[in-house]
Amino acid sequence: MNAPLAVEALDLERTYASGHATVAALAGVTLGIRRGEFVAVMGPSGSGKSTLLNVVAGLERPTGGTVRVDGEDLAKLDEEALARHRSKRVGMVFQAFNLLPRFRVVDNVALPLAFSGVPAAERIRRARAMLERLGMSSRAEHRTNELSGGELQRAAVARALIAQPAILLADEPTGNLDSANGAALIALFEELHAQGQTVLLVTHDAQIASHAERTIRMRDGRVVDE
Amino acid sequence: MSLGNYGRARLRSGLTTAGVTIGTALVVLLIALATGAEDNVRRSIFSIGDLRLVTVQPFQPGANGLSAVPRTITDDTVAKLKGVAHVDGVYRQFDAPLGMVVEGGDDATIRPQGIEPGAPVDRGDLLAGRHLEAGDRAVAVIPGNIARLVAPTAGAAIGRTVTMRVGGAVKLGSTRIGGSGTPRDYAVKIVGVFDEQASQTSFRIPLDDALLAGAENRGLTPDAIRETTGYSGLAVEADDSINVADIVKSVQELGFSSFSLKQVVEQIDQGFGVFRGILAGIGGVALLVAAIGIANTMVMSVLERTREIGIMKAVGASPGDIRALFLAEAAYVGVFGGILGLALGLAGGQLIDRIIRQLNPRTNPAAIFVVGPELALGALALALGVALLAGFLPARRAMRMSALSALRYE
Ligand SMILES: Nc1ncnc2c1ncn2[C@@H]1O[C@H](COP(=O)(O)OP(=O)(O)OP(=O)(O)O)[C@@H](O)[C@H]1O
Ligand SMILES: [Mg+2]
Repeated sequence: MNAPLAVEALDLERTYASGHATVAALAGVTLGIRRGEFVAVMGPSGSGKSTLLNVVAGLERPTGGTVRVDGEDLAKLDEEALARHRSKRVGMVFQAFNLLPRFRVVDNVALPLAFSGVPAAERIRRARAMLERLGMSSRAEHRTNELSGGELQRAAVARALIAQPAILLADEPTGNLDSANGAALIALFEELHAQGQTVLLVTHDAQIASHAERTIRMRDGRVVDE
Repeated sequence: MSLGNYGRARLRSGLTTAGVTIGTALVVLLIALATGAEDNVRRSIFSIGDLRLVTVQPFQPGANGLSAVPRTITDDTVAKLKGVAHVDGVYRQFDAPLGMVVEGGDDATIRPQGIEPGAPVDRGDLLAGRHLEAGDRAVAVIPGNIARLVAPTAGAAIGRTVTMRVGGAVKLGSTRIGGSGTPRDYAVKIVGVFDEQASQTSFRIPLDDALLAGAENRGLTPDAIRETTGYSGLAVEADDSINVADIVKSVQELGFSSFSLKQVVEQIDQGFGVFRGILAGIGGVALLVAAIGIANTMVMSVLERTREIGIMKAVGASPGDIRALFLAEAAYVGVFGGILGLALGLAGGQLIDRIIRQLNPRTNPAAIFVVGPELALGALALALGVALLAGFLPARRAMRMSALSALRYE
């Protein structure tokens, strides 16, 4: 198998200057995630999990090392190309849902396509199809403030998947959900994984991590155990 | 996807749009007023005379009022002027002393004006008869008011012979003045009657008749008059009004003062340019205030929607997309406000026009506010430009925001 890895990080570093001190959120992370894998990232608070995910998502630039996503070296991308990376190559699910308020669910799901030049009618058609696939059809026309937490996160997953990304990224996606909704979301991830979707999930809940094929443990910006 | 405004934000954009509307309307109204005024003045000037004309006066250049230093216009001057580039024709004029038409009584005071056939002054204003022609002697083209003193109508005056008394006492309005020299009578046949709007006293007679009358009034010969007194003036016609300035210069170089409507119009244009500039400036200040309003609305909008900007960036909006989003919003305010402002300006102009005419029915019938296509398009472009300019900095700020920190913004 010579296909590129979904994610390939080599000595990845990300340091923040805060006042006089510098914090190394990522202090040399090397890892690989194969296509179709379902990987969980665990570790104590401040260990760099979110930073790792944000770097892979193209929301944050590394300060050292290299990272390739679906074969693309992110360091080589300019702002425009990084924006396209975010809209097409990765799909991100946040703890705080991050849906646009006052907009219909279907508009939110279609949003990433708007930035990659897909015509409006086609965007809406594809968004409806994605909502259908996730069992959210009945909520398509609702405004986001009319949805429950579980529904909001499902809509966020639909948005993350709309552009058929190489990898689905999720940072504590169950953090704002009750246990029943959390379990349902993880079941959705397992189902997507079964359909071949690569998933990289950050959590500090061992119960949730146990659904993944593999768990990467981090501490102080390093991978301590695979 | 359009990110419309809602609630509080909608009220704010509404007010901002109103600001642009009022600013644009003011610019349109004020410039239309200036344009209307200029059009009126120009129209009345164009109706008096021809812009290709330069009048040579028997004074040294720079003469005005009492300081005029006399200078004799002779046939030598005429010959020189005929050689100047772009001169189409030179027409001599000699004014004989004031006099009267005896048959017309005291009120028929006249100014016998000796001119050459085809002179600019004797063109296209006839009520009856004809203009002066080459070879004419002892004839006159007279104003309508005088014609009606000697005949029932202007037409009936044609062909009549009247007595033209040159020199001696004449009545000017209600005052009687001594006049010059010994009065002498000449029989002249009326061949044409012109509209007295041009002049109520001018008697257009052949140049040689006027010279003879002027000479006899002072006991001289016409040739002596030509050489010592000289002509009263010359009408120099340019081939095109753009060459008037050059001809004026040549006239001054020959040592004569000149007058041209073209130069008056240019001065008026300059004056109106300043006038229009001031009015446009006032409107511009209104637009500037509107621009500050737009900038403020946009800054607030960027702040208020920081999280939304973060979300859009996180799912793939490029910096350019974000900037375009906010600039489009500003452009929308500009175009919408501009169109409303133009409509308001047009309607306001009509309303004010109607009110003025109602208050004063004798107002000049020409439009008071004139909005040409340049002004209409210019006003729209201005509103759009101002809006984009005002939106530029906030849009750039939104564009440069980092996605992650925007997402963390509360
Ligand atoms: N923008 C930033 N500026 C300064 N320091 C930062 C920034 N983002 C993260 N850090 C620091 O980097 C380290 C790693 O942060 P990160 O958010 O990746 O941790 P985490 O593993 O996701 O923690 P948690 O489980 O609490 O979410 C922390 O010490 C954090 O304070
Ligand atoms: Mg985190």
